[in-house]
Amino acid sequence: MRSALGVCLALALGAPALAQPPEDAFALLRRIYQATEKLSYTGTFVTQQGDRVESSRITRYAGPGGEVERIEVLDGTPREVVRTRDTIKCYLPERRTVKVEKRVDPRAFPALLPETFADLLRNYAVSRGESARIAGYDCESVVLTPRDELRYGYQLWADTASGMLLRARTFNAKGETVEQFTFTQLVIGPVPREKLRPRHSVRDWRIEYATVAPVRLEEQGWRFAAELPGFRKIAEVARRIGESAAVNQVVYSDGMAALSVFIEPASRRAERVRPGLASVGAVHIYTREVADHVVTVVGEAPAASVQRLGNTVEYHRPGR
Amino acid sequence: MKEKVSQLMDGELAGEDVACVFAALKSDREAIEAWRTYHLISDSLRDTRLLSRGFTERVAARLAEEPTVLAPARWTRAVRRLPRIAAGAVSVVAAVAFVGWAVTVLREPGSAAQVAQSPKPAPMATAVPPPQEAGKEPVRAALPEGARDYLLAHQGYAPRYALQGYARTVSDIAGGRR
Repeated sequence: MRSALGVCLALALGAPALAQPPEDAFALLRRIYQATEKLSYTGTFVTQQGDRVESSRITRYAGPGGEVERIEVLDGTPREVVRTRDTIKCYLPERRTVKVEKRVDPRAFPALLPETFADLLRNYAVSRGESARIAGYDCESVVLTPRDELRYGYQLWADTASGMLLRARTFNAKGETVEQFTFTQLVIGPVPREKLRPRHSVRDWRIEYATVAPVRLEEQGWRFAAELPGFRKIAEVARRIGESAAVNQVVYSDGMAALSVFIEPASRRAERVRPGLASVGAVHIYTREVADHVVTVVGEAPAASVQRLGNTVEYHRPGR
Repeated sequence: MKEKVSQLMDGELAGEDVACVFAALKSDREAIEAWRTYHLISDSLRDTRLLSRGFTERVAARLAEEPTVLAPARWTRAVRRLPRIAAGAVSVVAAVAFVGWAVTVLREPGSAAQVAQSPKPAPMATAVPPPQEAGKEPVRAALPEGARDYLLAHQGYAPRYALQGYARTVSDIAGGRR
């Protein structure tokens, strides 16, 4: 079975020159993805982004009738997210607002797709890492070492018995942790559905719908002068951001990380756009202006990648 | 120090010098006085409307209402946020240290009237030169308006969130639009 997988992989990659990952490392990665899809659990995890730390409670139900995931942030401003296969609802009680996003294309939902794995192996070397005991679970780990400087590296720790992901660490070229999440408490097993109900009744709340529709940016005159090596376009949509009118979004992914390019008319902004680069943990946000439009690139990648992609955006008047 | 304050306002200082002037502005009376005077001068030259009575108190009160952020954003970023605070778009996810500093500056000794006439913080935005990070990195900016919305929109597509859920989607970072 494993060797069959290896053969498929080699075929999919079509590049025998690429070093094959040790089979057990790759198998562990696959198990983690599968466990993420099929397990029900409830637990508490801590995320660390740069120098900020935040804990959240997560409850996930997987079974007949689909999957539902509910996350409540326990620190700072109360926030809650309930996600189903095709909808994401983000509750912001202090603003009495719920943001609703519906997916038009469930396939665009990040999931285990063969091409995702092929991309991943093209851009990262997969190997085994050190084992650890996390939240009472004995865990094995897998390390994704980037093949170039355009992306971060990852180390994932998963429960040996179930494959459940208990810790993930994002590291930069120097090996320094830029972002991390880890469970501090976790119970794997059946979860009653009522535990997935949001805490808030949204009567009288403001509901912000984000409708997403496919679009072709090229027809509007937008072009990317160059590709970012290893990243492939996975989505191209028009959507609403917050209260604004339609914003274009193009998403590129390398199988693990993703970069979104948002393009919207500058006239909508009350203030002049300040070009520049901001960051939160592993996420960089780069803003610049192109042809009276604001281009914002958001991605969990090193600053140079995010900026480089942003700088390839060009506008050519369509038609003629 | 007076000259440094002037340079700071003109955006001619960088790096450690900026930090040094800000440190002085916390306690050095001469520096504080120069800061106020120069802003008053520049405001009157530009015919800027004086701030309404009680402005300082209102800003302080609104700052106090803001959720506390445990892990501060970069200090430099926080400084650049100030204009938005002043503009009333109170969406402060700024360094606690900075908030403390701003409130301190706004409340510095002097009669209420004097404070009320003290320069509105907005000019500082132009006064603070974008600090250059060591190396090749570009200008560090504040998180853009609505950063949370962008993150929310982005993360639905990121493969790794299939693994670790939407923790960051709801992250408090930018406070979104208020």
